[in-house]
Amino acid sequence: MADRTLMHMTAARLRDAIARREVSAREVAEAALAQVEALDARVHAFNQVTPDLALAAAERIDRMVAAGEDLPPLAGVPAGIKDNMNLLGTRTTCSSRILENYESVYTCTAVQRLLDAGALPIGKCNMDEFAFGSSTENSAFGPTRNPWDLERVPGGSSGGSAAAVAARMATVSLGSDTGGSIRQPGALTGTVAVKPTYGRVSRYGLVAFASSLDQIGPFARTVEDAALVLQAIAGKDPMDATSVDEPVSDYIAALDAGVAGLRVGVVTDMLELEGCAGEVRASVERAAKAFADLGADVGEVELPMSRHGLSAYYIIGPAEASSNLARFDGIRYGYRVPDAEDVLDLCMRSRAEGFGTETIRRVMLGTYALSAGYYDAYYGQAQKTRTLIMREFAEAFERFDVLLTPTSPTVAFKIGEKASDPLAMYLSDVYTIPLNLAGLPGISVPAGLCEESGLPIGVQIAARHFDESTMFRAAAALEGALGLDMTPPLVRET
Amino acid sequence: MAKDRLAGVLERYEAVIGLEIHTELTSLNSKMFCGCPVAFGGEPNTRVCPVCLGMPGALPVPNEAAVEATVLAGLALDCEIARFSQFHRKNYFYPDMPKNYQISQYDLPFCTNGRLDVEVGEGDAAYVTRIGITRIHLEEDTGKMIHVGGAEGRIAGADFSLVDFNRAGTPLIELVTEPDIRTPEEARRFAQTLRTIFLALGISDCSMEEGSMRVDANVSIRPRGASEFGTKAEVKNMNSFKALHDALAYEIVRQADLLDSGGRVVQETRHWDAGAKRTSALRSKEEAHDYRYFPEPDMVPFEFTDEWIESVRAKLPELPAARRDRYVSDLGLPKQDARLIADDVALSRFFEAAVQAAGASRAKPVANWVLGELSAHLNATGAAVDECGVSPAMLAELVVLVDDGVISGKQAKEVFAEMVVTGEMPGAIVERKGMRQVSDEAAIEAAVRKVLDENPAEVSSYRAGKTGLVGWFVGQVMREMRGQANPAVVNEVVRRLLEQ
Repeated sequence: MADRTLMHMTAARLRDAIARREVSAREVAEAALAQVEALDARVHAFNQVTPDLALAAAERIDRMVAAGEDLPPLAGVPAGIKDNMNLLGTRTTCSSRILENYESVYTCTAVQRLLDAGALPIGKCNMDEFAFGSSTENSAFGPTRNPWDLERVPGGSSGGSAAAVAARMATVSLGSDTGGSIRQPGALTGTVAVKPTYGRVSRYGLVAFASSLDQIGPFARTVEDAALVLQAIAGKDPMDATSVDEPVSDYIAALDAGVAGLRVGVVTDMLELEGCAGEVRASVERAAKAFADLGADVGEVELPMSRHGLSAYYIIGPAEASSNLARFDGIRYGYRVPDAEDVLDLCMRSRAEGFGTETIRRVMLGTYALSAGYYDAYYGQAQKTRTLIMREFAEAFERFDVLLTPTSPTVAFKIGEKASDPLAMYLSDVYTIPLNLAGLPGISVPAGLCEESGLPIGVQIAARHFDESTMFRAAAALEGALGLDMTPPLVRET
Repeated sequence: MAKDRLAGVLERYEAVIGLEIHTELTSLNSKMFCGCPVAFGGEPNTRVCPVCLGMPGALPVPNEAAVEATVLAGLALDCEIARFSQFHRKNYFYPDMPKNYQISQYDLPFCTNGRLDVEVGEGDAAYVTRIGITRIHLEEDTGKMIHVGGAEGRIAGADFSLVDFNRAGTPLIELVTEPDIRTPEEARRFAQTLRTIFLALGISDCSMEEGSMRVDANVSIRPRGASEFGTKAEVKNMNSFKALHDALAYEIVRQADLLDSGGRVVQETRHWDAGAKRTSALRSKEEAHDYRYFPEPDMVPFEFTDEWIESVRAKLPELPAARRDRYVSDLGLPKQDARLIADDVALSRFFEAAVQAAGASRAKPVANWVLGELSAHLNATGAAVDECGVSPAMLAELVVLVDDGVISGKQAKEVFAEMVVTGEMPGAIVERKGMRQVSDEAAIEAAVRKVLDENPAEVSSYRAGKTGLVGWFVGQVMREMRGQANPAVVNEVVRRLLEQ
């Protein structure tokens, strides 16, 4: 009988326990698979569970242990992988009917680096179709449920990756973040969630949503684990021309340095936004006070341009997506209508039947925004807004080392609550989107539980380009000061 | 027929032609955005990878050698090189394009505003015309489709279609000219001249037959003296220089007939049918695109420094026109011969090596051999000059043997034929076959005396006035010397001794 309590250990502790031969990697893999077996029928974090891959990876670690070799940093750590990242031996569906049976023909660079670091691939995590959404309800294979309340969404689009970590079915996981798709589900599931600097992690093998915004990053239950994962996957990749050849600093070494003298800017006008729940605002203020108590130099800043980020994002994101998704045409792979009359009919109907509603909406939005006669008014204008937002952040970072904002305006909402109101759903990412537009790194850290609903609330810490070290340092200090227990009731009960 | 009527039409109308030329950078080791090799043909779908097949998640990484080759082409054509440039996506659906967008360039091409001086016509009718080059940009080629069944091998109406992605992602440069071309002959000469330049740059094999150089033309006509452009048609599918010329000639006459009969030209794309010798309109449904260009977000823009551009300029080889001028001024070759050699990189290299070995004073006879026997040999065997069995050293030695009078021109042709087969040096062949021509006057005089002594009757007849016999004596002497005597010396000695 597998010992599922192993799944309460952090990645850092698991690796050490395996290195000290207190537990084998195989036992850890079995614990993760048993936890999936016990909970995933209710949570639906995974589209595909990969016991063979997990056990084979565990066997490699155990052989290294037997041979007395040094273990890699994530040796024996169960990991979930968002289903838009290619991994040989798995299907990569993007939670879309059009890729339901698509088998990866190569492995994503970030995933390969995670596996090279010794992680055990537990499975492919559910998501909003092609990452279009903030609730994981837009999955062709059914929604993922929030382990804190199974009637509620885990956020999205990386809801499966977030729920898998929150429910202890994976110790860490990879998500992708285009407008908040890692950080917002991180906040809604009480996990630590990181969107790295654009160019910090290779996108090769990540099925593209919006190429100029997409970035892969980790979910974990502690800041240290998140830093360990980013350390493993970061760095230049010759297969991604937008990955940057900037040295990856030692994130772990910086974690305990504290925040004395660190200049923390609270973005006050974001707190004033209509729709920001009072408890969310209170959490940010509590976090600011915690930083001040730790000796940080806390001040206030306004980012008035950032409120236009949402509009710019819903032009740029769909525009790039409409082009990125053009390759799904039923000709070389993926769903193909069985009774096409000619090639045009084949292409059009395979897409119409293979894509879900939100995907079709985004492709149409993007196609429209790029059309002759509309380009300047939409795409051109959105890019100008993007430049202004970048400039505004650059100025803010002259005064502050990190910026503090809410991650999401609300706690997890009920399944179906916003499904019929795309604009309300789009507002979920109002605090996270500006960082994608500016290419900046951000982390969502649990900052409390809503008194009324008992649901997690996260705050977002943003840092300068490629300054993930400072971001992690601030996040670790806050984590330590708040000392929260983020175990969902579902995990406690089972 | 169109060709016969062209001159008449061009008396009344002026043609306005602009070319759009796509050239695959076939000399590169890898495709535009991945590591797959660049080659022609092969088993379908064998030179492919996730990137050039557009598999989910694959990303393009630009081939820097292709960027450099494009800039090199721009510098060779006096273009301005952009300091800031980038790729754009050109979005349209077609099954030969794996991503359903083509990575191309839009408003920031690598090269703009160049020119090429083209020589047209021969002799007194020759003239030079300057053709402006609007832009040269870099993009990726598409795959190839085979349509089975249906009409005309087109996708519409086919029973089924097959796609070969071996060509997909091959680096392709697109050159667009200004509408500066006025006749089909100018268009042909522009394309031919451009080809010699690209060959000299070593960036492409420029094969119109294999499709590594593809020429499309925009053509319109206007009454002589008019300043406004007429409505243009775009002509495609011209697979040779002759096809380019003939298609334009046809199209100009067709448009003139339309206007003359009170009709008007429709802006459309027309397909040249080389068999039927006519253009026909493509279905308009196949055109009319909104390509929704936007900057390629998978790559960062290019920022070229002056230093980098100058480092590329330093790699510019001598271009055919400069080489031809040098052959004329430094080596004294006739202009036509100089051009024939200079236009061909490999032939030039051979020629210059042979001149180096034979001495610059022998450049003319070397050129004669290169354009004569050697070219005939290359045509007959289809071999490339680098692997035809004749080396520059061999040809140089042969020229020297003739020039020094060791063998006659007639003997030299025998030696050439022999060395092509055996690969021996010409000197060795001359020795082995005992072909060495004798010019030594003493030896020849001995042979002449012998012939005169043996034929007293003929000597008497000559001295009696039958001077025509001189040829007969020369023949006898040549036979006596087994044909190896220098005929000019024999002739002189025979006359001298007979006159004594």
